[in-house]
Amino acid sequence: MLSKIVESLYLKVLVTIVVQNENTLVHIELCSKKGVVDEISAEFNTTVLNNKMYDFIDEYIKESPYYYISILDTSLLQGALPSCEKNRLAALYDLSVAEHKCIDESWTVYTAKNDLYELEKTYEEVGLDMIFSPFVVMSNFFADKINGNLAMYALIQEGAISVAIFENSKLLYAEHLDMLIGDEAEDILLHEDIDEDIDLELDDGIDLEDINVEDNDMESLEDFANIEDLDSLEEIDEFSESKDIEEELQQENEVLPEDEDNEAFNEDYQRFSILQTAVAHFYKDDKYESRFVENIYIADGVGVTSDLKKYLEEEMYVNVYVRKCDLVLEVAQLAKMELGL
Amino acid sequence: MKYSYIKPRKKTAFTPEVQIVFTFFAITLAMLFLTYAFLLYKAYTFENEKKEIIEHRKELKANIARMESQINFIEKQKALAEKVFTQNMVLKDSIANLFDLVPQRITLSEAKLLKNGLILYGITPNKDVYNFMLQAPLRSIFHKTYSSFYPAKNGWLMFVSTNYMDESQLEELDSED
Repeated sequence: MLSKIVESLYLKVLVTIVVQNENTLVHIELCSKKGVVDEISAEFNTTVLNNKMYDFIDEYIKESPYYYISILDTSLLQGALPSCEKNRLAALYDLSVAEHKCIDESWTVYTAKNDLYELEKTYEEVGLDMIFSPFVVMSNFFADKINGNLAMYALIQEGAISVAIFENSKLLYAEHLDMLIGDEAEDILLHEDIDEDIDLELDDGIDLEDINVEDNDMESLEDFANIEDLDSLEEIDEFSESKDIEEELQQENEVLPEDEDNEAFNEDYQRFSILQTAVAHFYKDDKYESRFVENIYIADGVGVTSDLKKYLEEEMYVNVYVRKCDLVLEVAQLAKMELGL
Repeated sequence: MKYSYIKPRKKTAFTPEVQIVFTFFAITLAMLFLTYAFLLYKAYTFENEKKEIIEHRKELKANIARMESQINFIEKQKALAEKVFTQNMVLKDSIANLFDLVPQRITLSEAKLLKNGLILYGITPNKDVYNFMLQAPLRSIFHKTYSSFYPAKNGWLMFVSTNYMDESQLEELDSED
């Protein structure tokens, strides 16, 4: 009773840390009972807790004994599983070396214990109070969408993408993909594409003489006889109905930046590839029920260009909706929910 | 709803520094209150002792008054005793003198000592012996002396001598005592 009275006299200091590839974002909110009294953000060119960052955080946490430091999990060995039942979890993933947390009694997020310890050790000078999974951030960010029809959701961070597929708030598939690890594989893909492009460039036209009309080819052409099996126009209309009109209207005002300098081209292409790979996993892996993904909702935490949306729409024939997402604010929001503020 | 992998550390406003300060003030206040309580207790006991002493003094005063009255009474008793003793001595001397007055030839059978007189019964061989040897000294002591005789069987005379002193003379003697 006394502690609650004393607690009400102090401001609560919420420190949110989001570690990116080469820098760290720190957001501090001073909250009273009425709401946020003050908020400060800073960016530090480090991925660990250096003196400058420590001094910055320490300056604010000294103001109140009720300070809470939350961080977004950066582990590469993290993910989410579509169940909370222990028996089923054991079949889906080896959780013996992972810390896991059941969310909404429906799905589970997990991360490597070693990475959690390492994270706590890195920030032991200030201490950590909450560590959030990007999947939780994503589900909270798209809380208004995940209870709808099947759709893919992606949280794009610098260097990593968390991908999940939800249907009626039920997780079907989730994967945390690191862009740095994927670099080599993507490079190979890119090279293959480039080689193909070069070949195409060399073949300026189609030499009719090169065409060998053989029996096999004719057989394959016969397959076109089944063209009637293709979707009728009505079905195409139904497909178009799967569009999220509300989201489209909202995004009409938000115009994604054009990649004028081609600097972000490679990154956005990698992201596209990762998302494409994730969708392919979902379709091909027997563990998941193969369902057609029509909509992709992207929480943009880094500032993607319109290219990504274009790639996805053109290559995967899906509706893509990109929402700007301030990761530190979203993590701070989760921290407030965690503390019941 | 809990979303974090770890639980937030327990926060308290009572940091070690605050605890030290609170402990210091608590001890100081406790000492002050204890001192105050001790002083209150002492004042209370002193007040009680004061009341007891006042009561005791009153008792002593009453005792002194009683004892003084006892002393007065005892002194009066002593004075009375001395007076009685003196009177007894006087009486003894008087009786001794009386018996000294009586000559060997006269025998007393009874003597009555009165406040203001003396009555003697006895036997004398004759009147002359009585008149010269007993009546003369009695007359010198008493103001009024009456004698009466009647014969005894052996031929001697039985006598009754009644002697009185004046009242004024007696008062003078009392005042002298």
